[in-house]
Amino acid sequence: MESSEEDGGVPLSRMAEWRDVTPLRQDDGPNPVVPITYKEEFRETMDYFRAIYKADERSPRALRLTRRAIHLNPGNYTVWHFRRLVLEALNTDLDEELDFIQRIANSNSKNYQLWHHRRWVIERLGSNARSKELHLIKSILSLDAKNYHAWSHRQWVLQALGGWEDELDYCRQLLEQDIFNNSAWNQRYFVVTRSPFLGGLPAMRASEVRYSVEAIVVNPNNECPWRYLRGLYKDDIESLVNDREILSICLKVINTKSDYIFALKMLLDLLCYGFQPSQELRDAVVALWTSDTRPLDADLATAICDILEHVDSLRASYWIWRKNKLRIAA
Amino acid sequence: MATRDPLDFDVGVEEDEDGAPSPSSPLSYFERDRHVAFFGMLYDLMPYHYQSQEINRLTLAFFTISGLHLLKALDRVDKDRVASWVLSFRAHPINQAELKNGQFYGFHGSRMSQFPPDENGVSVCNAGHLASTYCALAILKTVGFNILTIDKESILISMRNLQQPDGSFMPVHLGAETDLRFVYCAAAICFMLEDWSGMDREKTKDYILNCQSYDGGFGLMPGLESHGGGTYCAVASLRLMGYIEDDLLSKNATSSIINVPLLLDWCMQRQAIDGGFQGRANKSSDTCYAFWVGAVLRILGGYKFIDKIALRGFLLTCQSEFGGFSKYPRELPDLYHSYYGCTAFSLLEEPGLNPLCAELGMTDLAALGIL
Repeated sequence: MESSEEDGGVPLSRMAEWRDVTPLRQDDGPNPVVPITYKEEFRETMDYFRAIYKADERSPRALRLTRRAIHLNPGNYTVWHFRRLVLEALNTDLDEELDFIQRIANSNSKNYQLWHHRRWVIERLGSNARSKELHLIKSILSLDAKNYHAWSHRQWVLQALGGWEDELDYCRQLLEQDIFNNSAWNQRYFVVTRSPFLGGLPAMRASEVRYSVEAIVVNPNNECPWRYLRGLYKDDIESLVNDREILSICLKVINTKSDYIFALKMLLDLLCYGFQPSQELRDAVVALWTSDTRPLDADLATAICDILEHVDSLRASYWIWRKNKLRIAA
Repeated sequence: MATRDPLDFDVGVEEDEDGAPSPSSPLSYFERDRHVAFFGMLYDLMPYHYQSQEINRLTLAFFTISGLHLLKALDRVDKDRVASWVLSFRAHPINQAELKNGQFYGFHGSRMSQFPPDENGVSVCNAGHLASTYCALAILKTVGFNILTIDKESILISMRNLQQPDGSFMPVHLGAETDLRFVYCAAAICFMLEDWSGMDREKTKDYILNCQSYDGGFGLMPGLESHGGGTYCAVASLRLMGYIEDDLLSKNATSSIINVPLLLDWCMQRQAIDGGFQGRANKSSDTCYAFWVGAVLRILGGYKFIDKIALRGFLLTCQSEFGGFSKYPRELPDLYHSYYGCTAFSLLEEPGLNPLCAELGMTDLAALGIL
């Protein structure tokens, strides 16, 4: 049983168990660039690690040394790799290893090597580790619901070990907490398209459109559900253009005359895809235009570009360019 | 909806009694000399806070040296000394047969993964790393070393060992995550060495395409959320590999392999109301995405669409009075954000900076007549 708490802070050179080892100094060579002023504990730990690594000593004390080295530089893939070799040689209890990784994860949840190491352990434990793993990732996401590494690991676990059954509901919970969480929307898409239990995108599309529309109603200025809606149709443009629910929500939002930028963008895209607008839709867009000096263009797509140029002025140049492209396409 | 006034920024410099700028307000212009001092100081010596990054030492060196070059301050650097130091990180195979042993004979990132051979001349373990190799080659080019004179065959042949069946790349043979970052490194290495035998290009392309998300951006791996860094790695790689042509948008060309309109729209939406760029939808603006996303726009020919004044204003709030840039406004600077803050200013064509090669994330040496 490892306990780095015992080692913590005590120089290795003063420990009896390391007396037989000659630490191997780092050879920076002449004229090193960006030399780092290592703290003594760091330098010493890595000098001992070098010695053990070179000797390829796969012992319990080597395992403890890798733990110490990992605490000091959790990004060092050489140390992690050697730790894996030692774990295998010692046939260590991998459930304990999961606990170790979890403790490191508390302060290093965005460290690539840590997550890779975790994957290595899980691969060896197999599907028994699945629910504990999904639970752990949930706890990391509860601290930061957008942690990219945690999401990446979660997708890997689902694909390698399963556990899809509750995932859509988990996405729903996260979105209830924060409807703006793009990671949760992305995970929703991942589940809807890949879960073996849901029937795939075509089967799920109608209910997902409804879900997105509900989200838009509450926050029309949220980019996520708009992108998600578009994504539900992928390359099936014909179905996108004919979806009455999408047209309906665009009209609804535009009629509120507030937070309508994404609705206008969606409508513009639909028009570019060949959608034929109703008079009701035209009237709703025209009602947004408040200029006395200049009437809105008769072409609806052009008119929308003009409106966006003014209300989404951060992207004014982009809207002007899109307007010009309409003329080229015509 | 209220129109945002592009001049509505607090970039004014408050003055105290002595007429010196008060440290709490952003400096109103790009402080080249302070950045030169910042990079120069770290080039000479890095404080212990960076010790946990020792494994990526070559990357740290790249940021300082390439940073100084962008700022036209490379005279501070002893180029020959740097070249020999970088070359000392090269992993050398003993013979041709070793090239198929699974290890990568590029460059180590640090002495921490590099061990002298034992008494019999056998290397203990070679951990050449794709990211370190990219940085090594970039540094060598920056200091004027002709990288085509090094043994590139062993780099390219052994690089194939790192490519996975799905087309992605592992960065080091020891085992590590595989994602678009290392696809990018591999592509940049092949591009710089002018030799694509290091990879199966079709497979690489397929992996990249699988990373395009439903919203047009690219995640770091297939299925992952679209991300500024992932999108850069994808688009820059495709450009380097020649699968998309330069300045697509100006030529009214359509790409047959990626959904460009969706990608463009996603990139444009990444500029937030504070003028900065976010890495993902509904996240905070962060200095480095002014490069990651900005560079994608530059490659596509859409950089002209962004609000440059707004972006500049945001970046200046991340500029540190100590030199360098921080991730978020008014925090302490770090080397990574300092480097990408400078590349972002180069994209903005700030006077006094060298032009940027968007695909390689460093000075455009070709444009300067240096090949």
